Amino acid sequence: MNALETIERRSAAAPTGLPEPSKRTFLTGRRMELFEKFPRLYWLVTRRWFQFAVVVPNLLFFYAFLIAGVFGSPVGNRNIIIIFIWILWWFALITALVPFASRVWCTVCPLPFFGDWIQRRALINVRTGRTCGLQNQMYGLNKKWPKALSNIWLQNIAFLGLCTFSAMLVTRPIVTVWVLGSLIVLAALMAGVFRGRTFCNYVCPISGFLSLFSMTSTLALRSKDLDVCAKCKTKSCSVGSDKGWACPWGIYMGKLDRNNYCGLCMECVKSCPNDNIGLFLRPAMSDTRIKGYDESWKAFIMLTLAAAYSIVLLGPYGIVKDFANVAEVGDWKGFGIYAGGLWLTALAALPAAFAACVWIGRRLAGRSDLGQKEIFLGLSYVFVPMGLLAWIAFSFPLIMINGSYILNVMSDPMGRGWDLFRTAQIHWSPILPEYVGCIQAPLLFLGAFYAIRAGYRFALEKTGTPAVAVRLAAPVSILVTAITLAFLKLFVG
Amino acid sequence: MRVMRQAMFVLVVVVLFAVAGVWANGRSADEPQTRIIHMTARQYAFEPSTIRANLGDTLVFRLQSADVMHGFYLEGHDVEAVITPQSPYVELRRPSEPDARPQKVEEIVVTADRTGKFRYRCSHTCGTMHPFMMGELVVAPNRLFIASSWGIVGLTAGLAGTALSSRKKQNGA
Repeated sequence: MNALETIERRSAAAPTGLPEPSKRTFLTGRRMELFEKFPRLYWLVTRRWFQFAVVVPNLLFFYAFLIAGVFGSPVGNRNIIIIFIWILWWFALITALVPFASRVWCTVCPLPFFGDWIQRRALINVRTGRTCGLQNQMYGLNKKWPKALSNIWLQNIAFLGLCTFSAMLVTRPIVTVWVLGSLIVLAALMAGVFRGRTFCNYVCPISGFLSLFSMTSTLALRSKDLDVCAKCKTKSCSVGSDKGWACPWGIYMGKLDRNNYCGLCMECVKSCPNDNIGLFLRPAMSDTRIKGYDESWKAFIMLTLAAAYSIVLLGPYGIVKDFANVAEVGDWKGFGIYAGGLWLTALAALPAAFAACVWIGRRLAGRSDLGQKEIFLGLSYVFVPMGLLAWIAFSFPLIMINGSYILNVMSDPMGRGWDLFRTAQIHWSPILPEYVGCIQAPLLFLGAFYAIRAGYRFALEKTGTPAVAVRLAAPVSILVTAITLAFLKLFVG
Repeated sequence: MRVMRQAMFVLVVVVLFAVAGVWANGRSADEPQTRIIHMTARQYAFEPSTIRANLGDTLVFRLQSADVMHGFYLEGHDVEAVITPQSPYVELRRPSEPDARPQKVEEIVVTADRTGKFRYRCSHTCGTMHPFMMGELVVAPNRLFIASSWGIVGLTAGLAGTALSSRKKQNGA
């Protein structure tokens, strides 16, 4: 694949039937360009040392956590790796970073650090030269990733697989060490073989849900003027230049119309010869197009997992906890029931229920000319805002109930009886636990609102008539309502 | 302006549904009573896992552990206890009085004076899944659940109404 040929589904222009994007930018509606508003931010991200400076502290913390995971207490709430990653990091990621800063986690993620070095043999500076059509000297084998795997199915399966063992992953430090350690090794190995951020694009299980939920974000990196991109002869954002590396994510900014696959590494901002890349603040839930079944299924998986975690981790059902906690309880039959139920719901039952709603909606609307696939993909976006808000609702109790463990492990990161900051002995004290439901219910409301509104807007776009659109979207809206009621029952019922 | 009107319409429908739901279902029909609850804590669950009570009920908890030392923290009721295996007593403390000495008691008496869902959680590290060991006390009428459930139905109806009213205006125009 030539570097200029970005993967079609990652950077395709608006498909037929959807409104033509603005001539100047893919962003529509209210927006604010942050580089113009805050020139210091622009200065910062255009420094060559920017990404190195934000990744290295994170990398050091990451290694410290891994050491604590190996040598510290095996009890999760006494080990910093569990508390900082699965409570603090997760809460910050899902409630703040993703909704308000898109994939900014990918900017600072330590996992691909060594892979980047293997490919670039440089930590800060850019190497000019020619490699596979790029204007940078790259190392490694620079192989193409197979086209058949150029989607997020691997990430879907990897994430679902990991989450099946979540009861162990989020409670046992050594399991977390194994998983994160394996990911960092895999990222480095893949970078040595394949070009760019292949690991991040197609394999990283975290990247998969970040790509989906970043669609909802209020932050977006985009071309300021598409005409300038069209006239640009160098396409430096995509192929690199002496100012910046070629986009590791394989993106040409002139066609970037969604957040999904942009890791905000800011190389394009540095390399663009026309200063045509902007960082925009925009309304939430602005990217609304699902482009493939792999993305639809990611949405089904995320919603199912939010429900499963709410049942297993936040529910009162001891038997389900025993099923999920197979490493300690050893009930493999029970685990099989749990895992089978999870996979069946995520991959078959929920998609089947949704497909039935789409089919009924088409019949009610009397628009058999609209293809099942087209409507299925378009309406499956409803599970993106709904899933994100369900995850946020799930995550609030984690921090409000178990937040005081953060203070404990700061003083005693390995659970060895240290008391570095005199906070190790602070008694476990939840923050207003009886009001958690008062936060969760409005969040679920918001998710349902965005979901139903998005479904109707898509239906209106397709049919052009409000009454027909209501009929087309009605079954899916009822499904959204039913699922929201189920979450309400779990959280506050 | 039109968007604001539509938003107001949806909001009004949501509130109407929520209020109607609470009005229809939000009153407790039963007289307050005393409920004695024999609760067993084990890794990583409480038995019974769910307790249903009515507003004004008196709940008498008799706690025991089936395996290791556990805690019992009842949200919203200022109750925390340590349950020792094979002991008829628990050590009761009030989280609002962190400096007070724990009391050894055989039972914990709680008045269900607030409606809603309150989780009881293990507050003494008891193993790997300890942070997720919990049960639920649901005190009826659960107004938050009733209001939010009816509100969600109202939201769907309100959004549909908004869409259909825009059709009528379109036809009228």
